[in-house]
Amino acid sequence: MTTPAAEVTPPKSSPDGAFRLEAELPMVTEPAVPFLEIEALRAKEFIPAAKEALGALIAEQGQARVIRPVFNWAGRNSLFPLHWGLACCAIEFAAAFGARWDAERFGVVPRSSPRQCDLMIVNGTVTWKVAHKLITLYEQMPEPKWVIAMGNCATGGGPFRTAYSVVPGVDKLVPVDVYIAGCPPRPEAMLDGILKLEELIRERKE
Amino acid sequence: MQPDDLSRHLAPILGDRLIAVEPFPETAGRVRFRREGALDLFRAMRDDLGFRHFSTVAGIDWVDHREAVYVLWSDDAKQYVLLSVDLPAGDPRIESASGIWPSANWHEREAWEMVDLNFDHHPDLRHLLMPDGYTFHPLLRSFKLHEPEELEVKARHV
Repeated sequence: MTTPAAEVTPPKSSPDGAFRLEAELPMVTEPAVPFLEIEALRAKEFIPAAKEALGALIAEQGQARVIRPVFNWAGRNSLFPLHWGLACCAIEFAAAFGARWDAERFGVVPRSSPRQCDLMIVNGTVTWKVAHKLITLYEQMPEPKWVIAMGNCATGGGPFRTAYSVVPGVDKLVPVDVYIAGCPPRPEAMLDGILKLEELIRERKE
Repeated sequence: MQPDDLSRHLAPILGDRLIAVEPFPETAGRVRFRREGALDLFRAMRDDLGFRHFSTVAGIDWVDHREAVYVLWSDDAKQYVLLSVDLPAGDPRIESASGIWPSANWHEREAWEMVDLNFDHHPDLRHLLMPDGYTFHPLLRSFKLHEPEELEVKARHV
């Protein structure tokens, strides 16, 4: 099997031969499988070393002080929000996961089951009819879990605050960690709210 | 179909339970009737006059009395028709149309929960848009908008 770099011809337009593509690219001489074996060997060496270092750190500082930051670091970089939408804020929620804003670069991946989620983004007007379904979904999420109230409706009822059918703020139903104002908030605001929540999780003690 | 056609057909069936048939823009007419003749009128509209589609029922709160307005559609005549009945505010009950048009079921549930019209012999008269246990009829004129905290206490059901 020939290497791809050997087949690339240098551009003809270079008069003095200063730009040579084959010289820029690293030559792949080894087949792929031994390369992977080398990486696996490195991982095999890395994991016991990391275990040993972590064990020494725990023995020195106590389990609570070491494990908690590790869990916080892992948790705040893999926030899985519940994939649902209540109203027009859900459009901004969806746009935040598109190519332009790309919320997945922060490890935020929407999941369709509350049992796989640790973050509920309440994106829209919560009516009394849907309130107990929201509470059921929240209770189905495993601990630890966080709630972001996105938009004015979820924050305080919005323009429907005195209406007969609307919950005036989702914090009447579930504990809310971060409020995002806006009607609707732009995807940047939603991402900023998620980063604020990551700061909260960084400080988490228990 | 004109109001006269409706009147000519309905007068022998309903007798004095038919009050009047008035012209109404872009419909076949507006039939005003007493609630005792509801079922006979519904059957005549569906079987004899061809209004086989139950479009909606609207409730109106006129403070001293309430009004139910049925909107029917005929695919043969390509026409709407309105049926209007006055109900006393203290006893706003009328026979359900769900037995004639099954699609009246949800419309009557909504009219009941919003303006408190009681439909007799409805198969499943419970809340449609509001949660179970909600004790208000919010589109009545006597309903006051509440402060959020007060409403939260009154409307809490979870």
